[in-house]
Amino acid sequence: MFTRGALLYIGQRLVLIVFTAVAVSSIVFLGVHRLPGSALLNERRPDPAAQRELLHFYHLDLPLSQQYVRFVEGVLHGDLGESLVNRSVQITPLLLREARVSLEVGGAAIVFTIGIGVLLGVLAAVRQNTWVDYLATTTSVIGYSMPNFVIASLLFLLFGVALYNWTGGALYYNSGWTGDYGTLDQIIIPGFALGFPYASIVARLTRASMLEVIRQDYVRTARAKGLTNRVVTIRHALRNALIPVVTILGPLVIGIITGSVVIENIFGIPGLGKEFATSILQRDYNIVIGLFTFYAIIIALANLLVDLLYTVIDPRIRY
Amino acid sequence: MAALPGIAQEVIDETLAREQTSLWADAWRRLRRNRLALASAVFLTLLILVAILAQFWTPYSYFAQGIGPIYQGPTAQHPLGLDNFGRDILSRIMLGAQISLKVGIGTQVIVIVVGVVVGLLAGFYRGFVDVVISFVINIFYGIPDLLVALTLVLLLGRSLGIIIFAIAFTQWMNMARLVRGQTLALREREFVEAARSGGAKANRIIFRHILPNALGPIIVQATIGVPMAILFEAFLSFLGLGVPPPTPSWGAMAADGFHAIRISPHIVLAPAIALSLTLMAFNFLGDGLRDALDPRQKR
Repeated sequence: MFTRGALLYIGQRLVLIVFTAVAVSSIVFLGVHRLPGSALLNERRPDPAAQRELLHFYHLDLPLSQQYVRFVEGVLHGDLGESLVNRSVQITPLLLREARVSLEVGGAAIVFTIGIGVLLGVLAAVRQNTWVDYLATTTSVIGYSMPNFVIASLLFLLFGVALYNWTGGALYYNSGWTGDYGTLDQIIIPGFALGFPYASIVARLTRASMLEVIRQDYVRTARAKGLTNRVVTIRHALRNALIPVVTILGPLVIGIITGSVVIENIFGIPGLGKEFATSILQRDYNIVIGLFTFYAIIIALANLLVDLLYTVIDPRIRY
Repeated sequence: MAALPGIAQEVIDETLAREQTSLWADAWRRLRRNRLALASAVFLTLLILVAILAQFWTPYSYFAQGIGPIYQGPTAQHPLGLDNFGRDILSRIMLGAQISLKVGIGTQVIVIVVGVVVGLLAGFYRGFVDVVISFVINIFYGIPDLLVALTLVLLLGRSLGIIIFAIAFTQWMNMARLVRGQTLALREREFVEAARSGGAKANRIIFRHILPNALGPIIVQATIGVPMAILFEAFLSFLGLGVPPPTPSWGAMAADGFHAIRISPHIVLAPAIALSLTLMAFNFLGDGLRDALDPRQKR
């Protein structure tokens, strides 16, 4: 799989990712610093000396150009500075810790998205224009018409209230995050709420591309050879039908990151999304800039992964 | 008329009926057959009427607190119950429809103007202009759009106008990319060549020949953009960055009730259902319009 050309390609892309990270964080950095307001200036500080001392501590008294040079140097060394609200909290380790939590929930969401989406899409395509198809297609429009916080509240009502009443209090779901890694229900339920709207989009795409592939000659050949429907659908048709689906994995990762801001807030999950919502409301700009940098890297890595996935699914594609 | 063998009567009727129909009459005929899209259009018309009505009359004042027991469920006087401040939820839902529609439609007006102009420029002139515009669009695709909108609202302030601007700022490139693609394809067509050889200037070719032919996809894209914008506004206000209270917004209403979802779910469910139905209606209508305006794309 990894020829010399492929490795070279991956190397180039990794270099590009570093540039992207610097570019995105620079845009956010300059944008944020051009605009008024900050966590420091918004608080009432009657003592001008203390104010000056604080500005000096964060190097905010330097000219913008010098601040920027310091900032880019930091980014290149993997150092995103300190939180403006909680002094002496280093941002890079904080975000790395939170990224792991988000990865657990986001990973569950992606598994749901692809699992449910591909399943619904294939069923709808194989049984085109039957009630299965209509049900799957309608479900998918309903799915992406429901904001994830609506799905989250329904899940709360189902698992938190209905299940509690039904089992007489023996079984119920309590949101939150316990321990370092969270429990299974603390990962799966938010993961479902996060992934379901995108599952609908994957289902639509899978259905469309399955319908196209299923009519091709090699599928008919496979059937003529006497292979069972299941083998033809899964081994022959689905593999090629998945190529357009893989394309939306990049936007999917962006969608999951965006959705996690709401979902982690609702479910009380200490991940990147909750951090974003908290620090943006507290105007902790250093963390906001750091988060955007982080997100840019995650998205770029996801896109690289998608491009490599193409070669796995379709061996004709090479780099 | 005797049915021809192998051809359904419907097909024959259609062929005979189609003597002189414009694109729009044709599209309308197709749209009318799509029951889901039609039902959605009726629902949205009602919603717009409710939003207009709310400007002049709501059952109760949307900001009067304590008009009944707080957290009270639905009763005869208050069909959707009361919220955590004892405000009438039905009145707030009605007014919330205004905010959602203003955001949805306002955003798309900006998106259409900016997206169409940028897309036409990039597609028609190609070369350097196209390279620059495509580069900017690609940058926008690489960053999480909602988070950019959030940051913009935070930095510029929480007013309806700024929310509309911030959402449009993260959405214009979808329209621009679509119009660019359409223009690239249309500018190579024979009728454009004919117009050019007839001595038509660039302006005339763009606005009389290319734009009208791209209008169908533009309308579909705008219809699909409306629910996206409404969804964004709901997210913003759910996170506490929407229009300032007490102006009711569906997202903020759902957020307000969330802490009490176990004891009085109606506070969350009412705006959640209103929001979902509205988004669904726009999505079904968008799908219907796509099938009607561009039957080749039908999936």
